[in-house]
Amino acid sequence: MTPEELKDVKMPDGMNAETLSHLMQPRNYGKLDDANGVGVALDEKTKEYVIFYTVLDGDTIKAAKYATNGCQDTVVIGSMFTDMITDNNLEYANGAIKRMNDKLGEMSQQQQVCADLVFSSFEASLKNFQNVQNGADEELHVFKMKESCEATNMETTNE
Amino acid sequence: MNNLFKKKHELWLHVNYASFAINDEEIKARLYDFAQIEFRHMKWVAQATLEAGLDYNYDRDIMLYKRETVFEVIEALIVEIRSTIELYKDNVLNERLRTDDIYLIEYLSELLKDNYNNKEITAFNMRRKWLDKNLAQDQIDALTLFLFEESYKEYELILVYAFMQVRTKDITQFDVFEDLIDESHFHLKSFSNMMAKLGILALPRELHEMTYVIKDLEQFVKDGIAEEEAAKEMCKELSDAIKDEDLSRFFDFINYQESYHIELMQKLLK
Repeated sequence: MTPEELKDVKMPDGMNAETLSHLMQPRNYGKLDDANGVGVALDEKTKEYVIFYTVLDGDTIKAAKYATNGCQDTVVIGSMFTDMITDNNLEYANGAIKRMNDKLGEMSQQQQVCADLVFSSFEASLKNFQNVQNGADEELHVFKMKESCEATNMETTNE
Repeated sequence: MNNLFKKKHELWLHVNYASFAINDEEIKARLYDFAQIEFRHMKWVAQATLEAGLDYNYDRDIMLYKRETVFEVIEALIVEIRSTIELYKDNVLNERLRTDDIYLIEYLSELLKDNYNNKEITAFNMRRKWLDKNLAQDQIDALTLFLFEESYKEYELILVYAFMQVRTKDITQFDVFEDLIDESHFHLKSFSNMMAKLGILALPRELHEMTYVIKDLEQFVKDGIAEEEAAKEMCKELSDAIKDEDLSRFFDFINYQESYHIELMQKLLK
């Protein structure tokens, strides 16, 4: 990915005005009652989690919200990511994850862990959507994070 | 009942953050006292809700409006109090809530009569300058992140401990939760007033029920002790990074308080 392609990717890079704005008022924070995909990424070691709510209409993400007990990096990345993908399609969202991950290569390990939590919870919400479409009785889908950084699709909860 | 709990939770935050936002020390202190009363109201409503066989949660629907003057803050607060009073029923608890809130409105109305009180609100200007201190930008950045991180954590701890306190039948647990709640109130107040000084006052984000519905107390306490250790480390790092004697001493003081929290939490494991 070239620097030119990374130009439009929003990421927290130090304490600029945009990051501060997301800290003071995270976008798309909270629950979505009409979500048709709900996913959780859980770091079993630290107990930090992100829960992600997605409203999918065909291939379009009509709404996305998230909540977390995690650190401020997680909050800012969740805020920026949900802003990016809302009203876009899944292909765009997957591209956004890749672009953000590429950009995160320039950042700290801590920020990568936080981003993984956010992206994995989004992916878990898509898995939940898919499982329910296939007839599963699943309230939400959980991805447990391995060693606080790698996502592994280990368990499905039927809560 | 759940709707009343939600409104009392929101009103506690409104009064608390009005106190943090206002620079005048006397008004700030009076409002903080009222905020503590609102918090007790919230706990009593939680107790009554459970006794009635009902339940409540920490969902909220609240925006921290960025007012520019003290009168704008007070006028908005009066509207919130009035809309909460409308929910009170005719019983002993609700009568207490009503008389407290009417007294608060009277106090606020008195403030509105004196234009001297109508000063500028600087808590939301995002300038990130501590006027009477000479902090370098990297110190301000470190302080900013710390304050956002820890103000959320203190709000989280207050609500989680309150959720558990109202459900416990064990007197030792009740006392430990009370101490931890009181300590977190003090920390939340200290950090939020610092955020206001820096012009970055913000509401802590909402708690999801995954955070406060605790199914395993022992595991919760063990995780909590690990979090306190992390908080101690953050205080120490910040104290080392901040080249200001007063602030550095303050964060050391908080660090020592976190040490005692660990002792308190260990009582929950016995």
